Amino acid sequence: MNELLWYTSRATGTASIVLLTGVVILGATISGRGARSRDGATIVTALHRWLSLGMTVFLLLHVATAVVETYVSIDLVSAVFPFTSGYEPLWVGLGTLAFDLFVAVMVTSMLRQRISDRGWRFVHWAAYLMWPLAILHGFILGTADEPLLRLTTVACAVAGGAAIVWRSGVTHHDTDRRRHVAAQEWS
Amino acid sequence: MTLASLLRDAGLTGRGGAAFPTAVKLEAALGHRARLIVNCCDGEIGAAKDGWVVEHHLDELVSGARLLSPRRPATIRYAAHRGSPTAVRLHGAGLDVLEVPARYVSSEESSLISIAQGGLARPMTKRAPPFVAGGRDSAGRRIRPTVVLNAETVWRVLQLVEWGADWFRSYGTAAEPGPRLVSVNSPTARGVVLETEAGARMSELLSAVGGLPADAEAVLIGGLGGSFVPADAVPSLAWSTADLARLGAGIGPGVIELIEPRECPIALVDRFLAYAAGESAGQCGPCMFGVPALAAEWHRFAECPSAPLLHDISRRSGLLPGRGACRFPDGVARFVASATWVYRDHLEGHLAGYCLDPGRRPADVLTR
Repeated sequence: MNELLWYTSRATGTASIVLLTGVVILGATISGRGARSRDGATIVTALHRWLSLGMTVFLLLHVATAVVETYVSIDLVSAVFPFTSGYEPLWVGLGTLAFDLFVAVMVTSMLRQRISDRGWRFVHWAAYLMWPLAILHGFILGTADEPLLRLTTVACAVAGGAAIVWRSGVTHHDTDRRRHVAAQEWS
Repeated sequence: MTLASLLRDAGLTGRGGAAFPTAVKLEAALGHRARLIVNCCDGEIGAAKDGWVVEHHLDELVSGARLLSPRRPATIRYAAHRGSPTAVRLHGAGLDVLEVPARYVSSEESSLISIAQGGLARPMTKRAPPFVAGGRDSAGRRIRPTVVLNAETVWRVLQLVEWGADWFRSYGTAAEPGPRLVSVNSPTARGVVLETEAGARMSELLSAVGGLPADAEAVLIGGLGGSFVPADAVPSLAWSTADLARLGAGIGPGVIELIEPRECPIALVDRFLAYAAGESAGQCGPCMFGVPALAAEWHRFAECPSAPLLHDISRRSGLLPGRGACRFPDGVARFVASATWVYRDHLEGHLAGYCLDPGRRPADVLTR
């Protein structure tokens, strides 16, 4: 039974990484206005939202099974507070930190209609910190004797990294014009 | 009798262009202990009256400002374009001068409040309650309660206190009482300031710059934020909101511009719009994209006229109003709408392939 939980935890962890990477790539596409058509933008936005909701199931399973199984010592406290687990406190802690950030991003997105756009945006930026933490956590703990799992994490890192690099290089006529005008004499 | 009730009895309204009742502003300012900024910028094209007040009635202006801000006289500031003769005069009098860049939207009320707080001289989004009660800008920065009054308005306040409401109401009309200043411009005489009143004959005001030329086609009232009115309407026109409104114009900041009759008006409007396109604060869509796009379309029409382009111009100018932090796009839209109406013969002439302007008319095309 304990072994089943351990393998479930690893499997759902890997699935979460893959899905999260997909969500990050879709999110970068939205904010970089990468969709060419109006329909495309709608599809990308919907996928971004639903995929993130879907991955929540895998992530919760991943955390729950990691806590319940007794093969390594991770308790309920260290599932919420980073760097408190008995097993690999640093690398599990990164995962916990990513989980906390994920919860913050999720909650603010669900309350998006009720909170300020600025507040939502600020918290949403945390996704760019959460994703590398999750990748690092997955890479270090995704046991080295399983080349397939390692390869999956590396592939995710490459794909997500490429999306973020693309996003940071994107220019938009709105932003460009704002910058151009703000550089004039206004004070 | 309080100062506010005196201003209400006299019917004093803001002379900066919006004609907002000064008594209401003063009561709000006193209630919130707002700081006072006296706007001496003359930001509209052709405006000169704020500078005139500073040049000729500076002592009265300062006394008026102190009456309006009795509890916080040390916080009164006088806004003027950086390096302008007005700014030099204000500095010379030892006043606290708020120097702003000489840009069209920088002398707008909320721009002045913004730069007075160490921000940029760009308009801020208006919220309820207004900035006279303080609040926050769109970035969440705290804004101290501040009230902005035009220099002429402040000067009128002192006159009212000295001479009374009855004296004030002996000028102007019942709807628009009181003496008021007008800046009149012609191609040769810039910024001639007249002491006049609502109801004065337009032709009389124009005589200050030599009168309406016989071949004049239009007069521009209110500068870039104003309207062209046809010259044939001028002889029967009075300087009042009611009379000007019939032609789609208004008193605004009190600026009259006699248009050079020998210049092609399409080229003239092109010049105005090119200036407008460069004056966007780069904050709101209709201003940072709409105004330059409108200017570009007009320029293309001037170079290569076509009916669809004319259609685009009127369509686009209809999209600009009511959607910016300030009324700059609204003013430009009104300017273009009045130009397309008053100069419709010229636009049609250009469409037909010739320019009605005799100076620029090619010799080989027929006139009508």
